[in-house]
Amino acid sequence: MNLIVKLLFLALSLTPAMTLLTWDGGVAWPLFGGITLLFDLNPVPGFFLLLLALGAPLVALPMLRGPRDEPAYALYALLLLGMQLLLLAGDFIGFFVGWEIMTWSSYLLLLRSPRTNLEGAQSYILFNLASAFLLLAGMLVFYSFTGDFRIHAVTGLNTLQQLSLLTLFGLAFLIKVGALPLHLWVPRSYDQAPDVFSAFLSALMSKMGIYALILLLTLFPEGLAGLFGQFLKGPAAGYVLAWIGVITSIVATFKAISQEDMKRLLAYSSIAQVGYIVTAIGVGSSLAIGGALFHSLVHTLVKLLLFIAIAGIVLQTGHRRFIDLGQLIGRMPISFFGVLIGIIGLAGMPPLPGFASKYLIYVSLLEAHWLLLLAAMILSSTAAFVYCYKLIYGPFLGHANSPEARVATEAPWQYLVPQIVLMGLLVALGIFPGWAIEILIDPVLTALGMTPIGAPAWGQLATAYGGYDGVVLMSVFATVFVLVTAIFFLLRGRMRQAGSPYDLSYAGEVPTAETPLHYGAGLGRELRRIPLVGWILSHSTQGFYAGLVRQTQAAAGLLSGLYSGNPQTWILLAVLILAATLTVQTLTGA
Amino acid sequence: MIHHLLDALAMLGMSYVIGFLFYGFYRQFNARVQRRWGPSIWQNFFDNMKFLFKSETVSHGAMFFFGPMIIMAGAITTVLFVPFLKDSIWLQGFSQSGNLILIIYLLVVGPLGNALAVGSSGNPYGVMGVTRGLTRLMGLEVPFFLGLALVMLQHQSASVHVIMAAQDGIANWNLFTNPIAFIVMLLPFIASQNASPFDVVGAPVEVYAGPRVEFGGRLLGILMTQNMMMTVAKLVLIVDLFLGGATTVPILLVKAFALFLLTAMISLAFPRLKTEQTVDFFWKIPLALGVIGVIATVWLPWS
Repeated sequence: MNLIVKLLFLALSLTPAMTLLTWDGGVAWPLFGGITLLFDLNPVPGFFLLLLALGAPLVALPMLRGPRDEPAYALYALLLLGMQLLLLAGDFIGFFVGWEIMTWSSYLLLLRSPRTNLEGAQSYILFNLASAFLLLAGMLVFYSFTGDFRIHAVTGLNTLQQLSLLTLFGLAFLIKVGALPLHLWVPRSYDQAPDVFSAFLSALMSKMGIYALILLLTLFPEGLAGLFGQFLKGPAAGYVLAWIGVITSIVATFKAISQEDMKRLLAYSSIAQVGYIVTAIGVGSSLAIGGALFHSLVHTLVKLLLFIAIAGIVLQTGHRRFIDLGQLIGRMPISFFGVLIGIIGLAGMPPLPGFASKYLIYVSLLEAHWLLLLAAMILSSTAAFVYCYKLIYGPFLGHANSPEARVATEAPWQYLVPQIVLMGLLVALGIFPGWAIEILIDPVLTALGMTPIGAPAWGQLATAYGGYDGVVLMSVFATVFVLVTAIFFLLRGRMRQAGSPYDLSYAGEVPTAETPLHYGAGLGRELRRIPLVGWILSHSTQGFYAGLVRQTQAAAGLLSGLYSGNPQTWILLAVLILAATLTVQTLTGA
Repeated sequence: MIHHLLDALAMLGMSYVIGFLFYGFYRQFNARVQRRWGPSIWQNFFDNMKFLFKSETVSHGAMFFFGPMIIMAGAITTVLFVPFLKDSIWLQGFSQSGNLILIIYLLVVGPLGNALAVGSSGNPYGVMGVTRGLTRLMGLEVPFFLGLALVMLQHQSASVHVIMAAQDGIANWNLFTNPIAFIVMLLPFIASQNASPFDVVGAPVEVYAGPRVEFGGRLLGILMTQNMMMTVAKLVLIVDLFLGGATTVPILLVKAFALFLLTAMISLAFPRLKTEQTVDFFWKIPLALGVIGVIATVWLPWS
């Protein structure tokens, strides 16, 4: 019985893949009042459905471990249904219904974690409801302008109408992707959600916000450029969006460095990575959108890998903070490799595909002549090395800092299989970036009416600014690595293993088991001494909102100065206005 | 295939030889400025050989061993992706398959491999050194990349070959056509060479232990070798980008040496900065210059 339920659940998690493979032809479902619900699979949502199809079973597998948990399975199935509805919807009604199902089922799944507290749950649902209501308002405004709920390119709107639509939709979707300062719910919920489910939240649900942002491009055929014209060689409206993305990623990167908890670090890193994608969408050229899609793909794979690996560590040791872990490399080698590949992808190091996607975004910024944005993006992507290092040093290297970390064993196979699959996918994509461009990304660009990027070969990534060859890069690096290691062993001399973990060069002293040798939680603390970083870290978004409240109250205080406090004044005023209106109406004969 | 193999070996050999000679010269130069005799110009070669042929090397686990291998592989890959000569079929390596942005990222493979190995050794001082290194990297990359981005934008290409080919004749050197980019990236370049005044990461005397603290014997030899080769790769890269590249090996040597001399003189003239001072400096002076450069060459209508 147990096994059957679990197998059924696993089969359910394959539904996005089934939808992707077997979908043919659109579905139109007439509703009341001449409104028809449309469902069809287009290339743009198809790309995101592919991400869902990849991710859903990989998250479902570790969820199966332990005692049977039917409510969680049911909610997960509902969540997948909602996301597929959202992606297949051809009109805003279906989109909204899918959006709401996704919000509520993920909220209920979040509540099932024993760690969820009132604050976390409240901020999750409040921000997501705000997003949903902005979306609802946006679609009603859209309907009032066009008389149609279908998602299609609108023309003939004036600037004010375009701006109101863009603001409503844009805010709704920026909340979902967690752009600053609307990200408050992200670290809390990713931190408190059930460990495996955090992978789903970060890797897949944040991508729905990205999908929606790209959808905005289909609403306005001339894109962001049609609004306020050009700035240098890119759209001026996109320049603002791009800065929102970059500032989000810089602040979130430094916040990530200062975290002491693995999942919170990953949550902030998600905000930062999605920030890059927002930047690329702001650039809006075909190369940039290609980069945004590629980065979405890479970020999905990387965050699934990292969150599942971290969930395995938490499962085996019961600890989540860097200070309580350490030296797991020997006891959890596969998880170590998972995190290693994950951070290489996250840091955007060649030859993994994180580099390919960042390369596309950099080149698109160069093409747009937006060099200051490029420099800011380099800042956050170099600062990301520090938190990437913290993420691998804290749990795996250094010294074991708790009794559990000293005896932990490798995570169960349900956690390892997804990691191995994801590592394989990341390495393959790193070798064949051109394949991803040709097969996955170019159809989407064509559907968006943009020039496809194209690739001369599957191993090559080509842009107008030049490209690189993933196959050559990977084979050179691998060959050299093997040769260097081989030559090292052939040389005279022998290796000797250090006698004990305390056999260290330690300022002339001999450390003992009592010496605090693990530097996990402290890593990155020194960054506060840099004035800019110190300034960023000493301010919080909550402080920003508190400031906003203070300013609002001050403004209200100014307004209340107009109020005399005597009700008779107001009644007199009302009578006078009434009399004046009547007089005017009589005089003008209306 | 044979051609590629010989070419790669020539590049590696050349970068190694130039590397230890330049370092030997630097030690001489440094000594003479400080009125010492200084070691022989071959001293770095002797040191390196001594390390590489040590009979015993202490290891702290698998990752501690593989870290230096990753660093070495990263260094050799970097050397092979930088074209040493222009208009030649020799000393090209695999540079046709790469570009400038890729090379900038390959330069970082070394520090990250080192970070993994040091973390694995379990020495907290080493990890502190790594953090210093990554912090400095965060400071220097921003103006460094901005300077190079100005060059990439000038030539509408990230390919080192294209940028090199566009600089025919001394008047077309980017050093003269785009001087602000050179000034912006010069100091970060010195920091990326791990030279004074930005060398607090692994400073030999003042800071007891840097990222190299636990390494000894042949592993330290490997680290020293890759450091010398990387230094040459970076010098050649800047020669390619700003000094018009070189068509023959002697010209390359002269240009690289001139650049090395310039950086060495700057290094010797200034005292060492703390890490946070380094980062703050890079985010103020070179970055401000870079912003001025962007405004002057990209934003304003005459550009």
